[in-house]
Amino acid sequence: MSASAASCHGSKTELDQKKVIAGTRSLILVGNPNVGKSVVFGALTGKYVTVSNYPGTTVEVTRGSATLAGEPWHVMDTPGTNGIMPMSEDEQVTRDILILERDYVCLQVCDAKNLRRGLLLSAQLAEAQVPFLLALNMADEAASRGIEIDADRLASELGVDVFPTVAVQRQGLSAVSAKAAEARRSTFLPRYDDAIEAALGEVIPLMPRQGGIAPRSVAVMALVGDESLRQHLAANLSAEALARVDEVGRKLAARYPESLRFVVSKQRLAAVDRLINAVMRKKGQVSTGSSFGRRLGNYATHPVWGVPFLAGVLFVCYEFVGVFGAKVAVDFLENQIFYARLVPWFDRAIRFVVPAGGVQTFLVGPLGVPFREHSGLLVGKYGLFSMGLSYGMAIVLPIVTTFFIAFSILEDSGYLPRLAVMVNRVFKRMGLNGKAVLPMVLGLGCDTMATMTARIMETRKERVIVTLLLALGVPCSAQLAVIFSMLAGLSPGATAWFAGSIILVLFLVGWLAAKVIPGRGSDFMLELPPLRMPQASNILIKTTARIEWYLREALPLFVLGTAILWGLDRVNGLALLERAAAPVVVGILHLPKEAASAFILGFLRRDYAAAGLFMHYEPFMKAGTMTREMRIEVVVALTTITLFIPCIANFFMIIKERGWKTGAAVAGFILPFSVAVGAGVDALMRWLY
Amino acid sequence: MPALVARREHCPLCGIEFDAEGQGCRPSCPMSKGCKVLCCPGCGYSFPQETGLAGGLRRFFDRRKERRET
Repeated sequence: MSASAASCHGSKTELDQKKVIAGTRSLILVGNPNVGKSVVFGALTGKYVTVSNYPGTTVEVTRGSATLAGEPWHVMDTPGTNGIMPMSEDEQVTRDILILERDYVCLQVCDAKNLRRGLLLSAQLAEAQVPFLLALNMADEAASRGIEIDADRLASELGVDVFPTVAVQRQGLSAVSAKAAEARRSTFLPRYDDAIEAALGEVIPLMPRQGGIAPRSVAVMALVGDESLRQHLAANLSAEALARVDEVGRKLAARYPESLRFVVSKQRLAAVDRLINAVMRKKGQVSTGSSFGRRLGNYATHPVWGVPFLAGVLFVCYEFVGVFGAKVAVDFLENQIFYARLVPWFDRAIRFVVPAGGVQTFLVGPLGVPFREHSGLLVGKYGLFSMGLSYGMAIVLPIVTTFFIAFSILEDSGYLPRLAVMVNRVFKRMGLNGKAVLPMVLGLGCDTMATMTARIMETRKERVIVTLLLALGVPCSAQLAVIFSMLAGLSPGATAWFAGSIILVLFLVGWLAAKVIPGRGSDFMLELPPLRMPQASNILIKTTARIEWYLREALPLFVLGTAILWGLDRVNGLALLERAAAPVVVGILHLPKEAASAFILGFLRRDYAAAGLFMHYEPFMKAGTMTREMRIEVVVALTTITLFIPCIANFFMIIKERGWKTGAAVAGFILPFSVAVGAGVDALMRWLY
Repeated sequence: MPALVARREHCPLCGIEFDAEGQGCRPSCPMSKGCKVLCCPGCGYSFPQETGLAGGLRRFFDRRKERRET
């Protein structure tokens, strides 16, 4: 069935008018995300197309008609995919289309600038024995960047027709149209190691013969335990055959320390790299990195040496952000700039502009009274300028700036993907799905963004658990920066208590998640660029972009939070709030009563709450007079705030992505859980610390 | 809606190039209006688009590099 959506149409006249009709043959467009596939589709079909959800999913598939070499064709545009072993719902739809459709040819659209990614998909189409053509799209941009691809050699190596194209200018598309009917099965067949080939030899004869892709390709997916294929196999294989496939897969998986999916992808990638070396050159490129960089890169992801490497990187970050950023930079900005100069200047400016009287007192308090002892709206204990802007600009900004500099260095040096690889190993030991790494690492930037990235998880259960872990135990960059700064004022033992508590909670919840989620875990695959010396200009630009983003997003909320505090203070609401929260904050967590407002306003921004605590303990940290009691309070407060309900932006994102019920359930679980963990840490520290 | 500038972007994590258009990360976020955060279609990594002062710095350094090369 190649033209089900269009089966009720069918005259040549309609085709001329570019309406969707039933073609005699089908052309399926496949390609990685964002390679210009839809532009090619539009150029081939014109504007009359149908867009519908693929059955049983919310993934859209676009269909249209085209006249290729004088023949009517049905053309289908599939969701972008990086492989036909699916890692997401979108990718599964593309894979299912290839399995379920019949008598089609594929047009793979590949970004010529990202050839490795494109050829990894070509290798899988070749393995699937799907007849296809390869369009090297954006060929002009690749050429302008000095990338030279020998299209003839590539065609000869792959055994299919290869066309350089510039889809937006319709260049090369007429050649594609002319050759569509002659699409061939590729002769490029990646071979795996002996154990995998032997297992494939056993399993291939059991695979269903019907379907759009070859039994070898289905057998590879079945062996790696692709759960999304289970239904298809169950419908087409006997129970005995299915059990045999599972048994062969289990035995094969036991031979490797990594997952089979990873091993298969790695060996396939090695074949693609050999192909790329044969067909692609980059002008002026001597090698993919210095030998020192390559060696360092290998150490950074080594199962043993990677750990001290990671510890070293984290220590340097901590020293730079927690010690330099939080102590030196905050002290300078807060005391030397803000409180010594800016606040008095602003106070004088307002008094100069606004005549003495009620309005002036309302804005900046009575003359001669220190600002921390009155309730002026702009300058006062909870003044929008003296508190809101000082929190945002003098306390959090220098800390997040040093954090962003450190993060930009990690990003520009190429260490960040290696960090993800190392964290992946840790997460797997915690029982978490490998694919959860990216949202969790991203959560260290912003939990709200990371919650949306949880879409890459395959099942709803996995998405809910990643969302819960993000909201529960992953501090965002701004909060992490303030946490670093507070930890810098504590002893190493107290720091270990905090880190241990958070890791233990994540471990326990992850372990429980592993028990709850059925099926095998999936993998996280990321291309590792070579390690390189970070460029000062790149770091400056990346840090500036992040600071601009922070100022735009955080400052208004800091001012809003302060306005709420000011309003509550004016109506005596703060005292009421502190009294209401006292049983929990003072009674259970043994924290000062003022921490209640920090907890509640932490809902606006998590770092706002942490900054409030920082302000409370900063004088003692600076004077070196932190008592044992205070150190316990800081660890308990930081643990509770880190685990506390997410900020308002993240909360709305959870509701949007997972629905009201899940949002309420996540918040309903986290609120008492964070207090319970805080109370537990408090009791244990008082006993053992 | 995210306020992204339509142009080619380069993912700092996985290295792929992609069109910024339609790659805004958080259409459902209450703060998405004016948001400049991009989401890589290859690996899902999020990062702020270099516009404003950062964009100006990028243009400055690119021009300086070009002058040096010529």
